Amino acid sequence: MIHLQGVTKRYGDTLAVDELTLDVAEGEVCVLIGPSGCGKTTTLRMINRLITPTSGRIMINDRDASELKAEELRRSLGYAIQSVGLFPHLDVAANISVVPRLLGWDKPRMRDRARELLELVGLDPEQYMTKYPSQLSGGEAQRIGVARALAADPPVLLMDEPFGAVDPLNRERLQGEFARIQRELHKTVVFVTHDIDEAIRLADRIAIMRDGRLVQYDTPEAILDSPVDHFVRDFVGSDRALKRLVRVPVSDVMDTDPPVARRAATAEEMLAEVKRTRFVYLVDEDGRLTGWLDRAQLKGGCSVEDALSDADPHQVAVAPDASLKEALSRMLGLGFRSIAVVESGGRLVGQVTLGSVEGAMTDSDDHQGAPVAPELDSGDLA
Amino acid sequence: MLTRSPDRVALTGASIALVSVLFLPAASLRPNRLAQGVAHSWLEAGPVLAIPVLALLIALFSAFIGTRAVRGHALSSTGVLLIGGVAFSLGSLSDSLLAKADVIARVSIGSGTWLTLAGAAIIAFSGYQALSDVGRRGGSARTRLLYPVFTLVLLGAAVADGGLAEVSLAVEYGIRTTVFWPAVGAHLRLAGVSLMLGLCIGVPLGILAARNSHVRRVALGLTGIVQTIPSLAMLGLLIAPLAALSAAYPTLREMGVRGIGDTPAMIALTLYALLPIVRNTYVGLAEVDPAVVDAGHGMGMSRAQLLWRVEMPLALPLVFEGVRAGAVLLVGITAVTALVGARNLGSFIFEGLGQAAPDLILLGALPIIALAIVADIGLTLLANAVTPRGVRSA
Repeated sequence: MIHLQGVTKRYGDTLAVDELTLDVAEGEVCVLIGPSGCGKTTTLRMINRLITPTSGRIMINDRDASELKAEELRRSLGYAIQSVGLFPHLDVAANISVVPRLLGWDKPRMRDRARELLELVGLDPEQYMTKYPSQLSGGEAQRIGVARALAADPPVLLMDEPFGAVDPLNRERLQGEFARIQRELHKTVVFVTHDIDEAIRLADRIAIMRDGRLVQYDTPEAILDSPVDHFVRDFVGSDRALKRLVRVPVSDVMDTDPPVARRAATAEEMLAEVKRTRFVYLVDEDGRLTGWLDRAQLKGGCSVEDALSDADPHQVAVAPDASLKEALSRMLGLGFRSIAVVESGGRLVGQVTLGSVEGAMTDSDDHQGAPVAPELDSGDLA
Repeated sequence: MLTRSPDRVALTGASIALVSVLFLPAASLRPNRLAQGVAHSWLEAGPVLAIPVLALLIALFSAFIGTRAVRGHALSSTGVLLIGGVAFSLGSLSDSLLAKADVIARVSIGSGTWLTLAGAAIIAFSGYQALSDVGRRGGSARTRLLYPVFTLVLLGAAVADGGLAEVSLAVEYGIRTTVFWPAVGAHLRLAGVSLMLGLCIGVPLGILAARNSHVRRVALGLTGIVQTIPSLAMLGLLIAPLAALSAAYPTLREMGVRGIGDTPAMIALTLYALLPIVRNTYVGLAEVDPAVVDAGHGMGMSRAQLLWRVEMPLALPLVFEGVRAGAVLLVGITAVTALVGARNLGSFIFEGLGQAAPDLILLGALPIIALAIVADIGLTLLANAVTPRGVRSA
């Protein structure tokens, strides 16, 4: 899909990119990563000709990029950047419609497309279409930046640290959403980041660059397992086993049948349930997580009502598209041995236990390919 | 809501007015148009003086009491009443002074009158401000607009009452009615056309300056130097080359290009308008977030599309700010061009200076001040109107 052949960019005496050859297959996410100044952003910007290569060829869909008109080439490549760059004088709908407008779409079509994309990135169209960029939070602005890049449904997305400017919690969420969107849309993506966790989580292939040269270009698993040299080994870090967990979404290993009781049930019913399993999640009529009940709390004649713990789903639960590493770090942070998995609407869909994390780790340590759901002990105490 | 602290602005205005009424001369009676006058106090105005004094007392009182809305209305109306009362009192005073004087005697407006009016304006303004602050509870914008309208009505009534027409300023106007309004028109036309020319040259120059650092240095440097040349010197400098051009090319002469008159005036004024417009256009464009420009390029906007759809809309408020500064500047400098033969309000000033007739100077100066204020307010409103919704300061 995208083919870079001996691409070089020279600024005076310095080589920003040196004889780079790289292939990105259709529908794959290629993450360019490396220390600052390694040439990753320059490489990205040469693909849509914001920077002109000194030498070498860039082929996109078997066509030489330099033979196309720069503006037309760029309109066919979605572009999202760290500082987002939404147009402050246009509302969200108009911001998303920038490229469709350049392509001459009619108004109803642009509006429909903007609605569709807002839903795709998880924002309510009714609420957000008429907002202005100054009224958005950083995370919302980034989502709209991604929506804007997708507006004209380009086959290729170029993303330059698109989640770099948001807080870690929001970044986790945005990465999860990006992974979900990518599973739906199968775009060819070139993604620049300096965050190795992000690279491992999102990439089909990682291109590690240093001083304008490609050091290693391989799948995340291969890079974790067999780094080509010290530089890559250091860059990836010593916690390679933990990093593998970044690759595993919670939904792959979660127990979809956690012990559950209705919040509205009588104390006796809840008690009966907790006797059986030692621990239950409590949900409301719509299946949304509201709290939990732990048998250990009932000791000493404590009443059921007093032993109930209220849950703020944002604090004590993870999303299905969160990584297993995030689930683990949340469990360790909270001192729990299991954590609830909750959909965006708040509905409880499963739980992850320390046991299942351990299973996933052993599994990838044994190099047995993709992790499979381990046996679950639903009786694990929280 | 009860406001506990007194309105300091209104109190300042009321104090100025009070001191002026008590201690400063309301008017001076001069044996003729040019001679030194004898000062006369407000107390000679007669019973009509009760109106401004009463208004002043109410203003002083209402600066301390009431909710914001009540206080706002009280101050606005007393301010308006004070202005009207001063106008009526002045008319009455000049009536009584002239009754005992010669036919060629003149009554000139004294410092007490000017300062009382200033105090009244401050009171009315503070009231108006209080009403704007409380928003809806202070009445709709249309209700608030009644106060300036009411002021004009009162002033009109005072003029119709007769006494004011005897005041020297009015007499000077009366003599020159046929040339006064054409002079206002000429003043506006000269300043307006020069501003437009400045806009047509300044905006493209500002855009080029934002694109190219060489253009920037030259354009900002030259317009900056122009600004430091005194207007009189500039007009003098233009006379010789324009006269030479006019002599050398008859077609130019037929078009009205001459060393004196409107041509050098327009050239000088256009040059003066350039600095604020070029600088603000450049700053407005330079301040556009680079990420916005990068995103625009990256999405496939051409340079022209980026400029007209993104950069200019974002720079527009600053461009208008430059136009506003230029307009106020030009209204003032236009007066100076009367010296090279452009007929406008400045002509009255220089005539008055030549004849040592202070009231004739005022006949030129007061409308110029009024025009500058109107231009300032009008262009400020326009700048707000062109500010895109998403970037208005919250």
